[in-house]
Amino acid sequence: MEPLTLASFPRAILHIDGDAFFASCEQSRRPKLQGRPVVTGKERGIAASMSYEAKARGVTRGMRISDIRKLCPDAVILPSDYETYSLLSKRFFAIVRRYTPDVEEYSIDECFADLTGLRRLLRMSYLKIAERMKKELDTELGFTFSVGLAPNKVVAKIASKWQKPAGLTAIPGRELHHYLAKLPVEKVWGIGPNTTAFLHKHGIRTALEFAQRPEAWVKRYLSKPFFQIWQELNGHYVFELALGEHETYYTIQKVKTFTPASSDRAFVFAQLAKNIENACIKMRKYKLATQRVVMFLRTHEFRDFGLEVDLSGPTQFPNDILHAVNPAFEELFSPATAYRATGVILSKLTEAYYGQLDLFGEAIRMQRLSNLYESVDTLREKYGKHTVFLGASFLAHQSAQHDGERGHLPERQRQLLPGETTRKRLGIPMFLGEVH
Amino acid sequence: MALTGLRSTHAVCTHVERLLDPEPPGYPTAYQLLLRQRDAALPVLGTVSAGFPSPADEELTDTMSLDDYLIGNKEATYILKVNGESMLGAGILPGDMLLVERGAEPRDGDIVIAQVDREWTMKFFRRRGRRVFLEAANQDFKPIFPTEELQVAAVVRAVIRKYA
Repeated sequence: MEPLTLASFPRAILHIDGDAFFASCEQSRRPKLQGRPVVTGKERGIAASMSYEAKARGVTRGMRISDIRKLCPDAVILPSDYETYSLLSKRFFAIVRRYTPDVEEYSIDECFADLTGLRRLLRMSYLKIAERMKKELDTELGFTFSVGLAPNKVVAKIASKWQKPAGLTAIPGRELHHYLAKLPVEKVWGIGPNTTAFLHKHGIRTALEFAQRPEAWVKRYLSKPFFQIWQELNGHYVFELALGEHETYYTIQKVKTFTPASSDRAFVFAQLAKNIENACIKMRKYKLATQRVVMFLRTHEFRDFGLEVDLSGPTQFPNDILHAVNPAFEELFSPATAYRATGVILSKLTEAYYGQLDLFGEAIRMQRLSNLYESVDTLREKYGKHTVFLGASFLAHQSAQHDGERGHLPERQRQLLPGETTRKRLGIPMFLGEVH
Repeated sequence: MALTGLRSTHAVCTHVERLLDPEPPGYPTAYQLLLRQRDAALPVLGTVSAGFPSPADEELTDTMSLDDYLIGNKEATYILKVNGESMLGAGILPGDMLLVERGAEPRDGDIVIAQVDREWTMKFFRRRGRRVFLEAANQDFKPIFPTEELQVAAVVRAVIRKYA
């Protein structure tokens, strides 16, 4: 077999992936859970993450908790503790940044890192750097990570999946063809079902067969992103790393389930209002404003009904959005139906700016709202989320989000230290369980 | 002014302002002034009396926050709430909060958090030659000699007791 390229690491890109991240966060802080099937997502009624023991028993992401109980009666089902997962995620990226400043935080549990040029500085081979990094991640966070080292992002993704969990795989350019020959083309990052079907029609089954197609063929039949994937499969570096922490968003989405399901108009609307308030908090944090809102209601039979509403101008404030969304809600809501979740998606996000004057006093009104919400945000920072909220969401704050809320509350929030409150806790993850 | 050799305060001021500029035109970056904010710094020692010219700002440049004082490896530090009585003899009470460091190499005499029979256990780490074992601070507990590899999860770095 001919190598696709002769250079081993013209660039050295790592892809690092936390193994069953949420479930592992739980197992690592509570030894009782180690070696047992663990599932998180109890509060939502569906599996958000499952340990390898649970995966081995056939539990998949998104599976209903009630089905999991039948399939795997000894599974430990826990409510998600996003606070702890986020703290550990930040540590994950901080440990990677000990070695290189060039880190792309791809999601809460995976990142890309560029090691190019660090061999001399650190006096180690790229593989050695990756090994060290992996060892620090595994020991300091208490669970395993899968690492892939390659000349670019597409191949680094292939490498990290090669021996999951807990694997470290290096794919130098000159050995790339051996790996691609064994990889079905649909396993390549970015190649979806449609493209797969198309490639199959042309007799392309493996990633190598795709990589070996001539450039002219790829350019003729496929769009630019697939040409770029083709280039990376041939060992070139095309996809740049998006560096820095998440700085901006194209859309902001808030969805919350509540139990029991409800057909009370005021209550369901209050749930929606609370989501809108939460989305606005995030929007103001990133100094964005929205011009398009999608709202949806999910029935207890898991059917979604949604409507899109355009706003007359960009806003950051729930008051404006609620006003605009209210007619859509009235149109969608049916008193004969029980709902289990509401959601809102804010899009057409732009940088917040209220400089424009107008004839109708809109600018003055915006300035007032802006002053008001500056105070609301100050109160929130000092006393916690939802210290003050809109009357419209009152009912959603009256009762717990779920039936038997205590059972759905992450254990960390029940293990408060002196001086901690349910709103604010120390930003350090906690070991749980009895200490003998 | 003595530093610059200039006699005009305005001239000195102009130079300093340029140095404060994050991207000064024509100045090498090495000469920029670093403005570092140290938040939550607590003085280790000393008091300042009222009425005298205060040297406070200069004196406080070498202080550290409680976080810096208590935490070595930030990414590997976890908290643990004590609920057993096995370390009473070491002055660790139920309800105390511990700062523990994961993945650190334990030394003889360290208090460690080990994993025994799928539970956390807190003991003194003892090393006698090539042999290691765990010892409780309470006479009622027998030392634990590991049959397989001893799984030390973390080393205790600090005990915090807050009187709320």
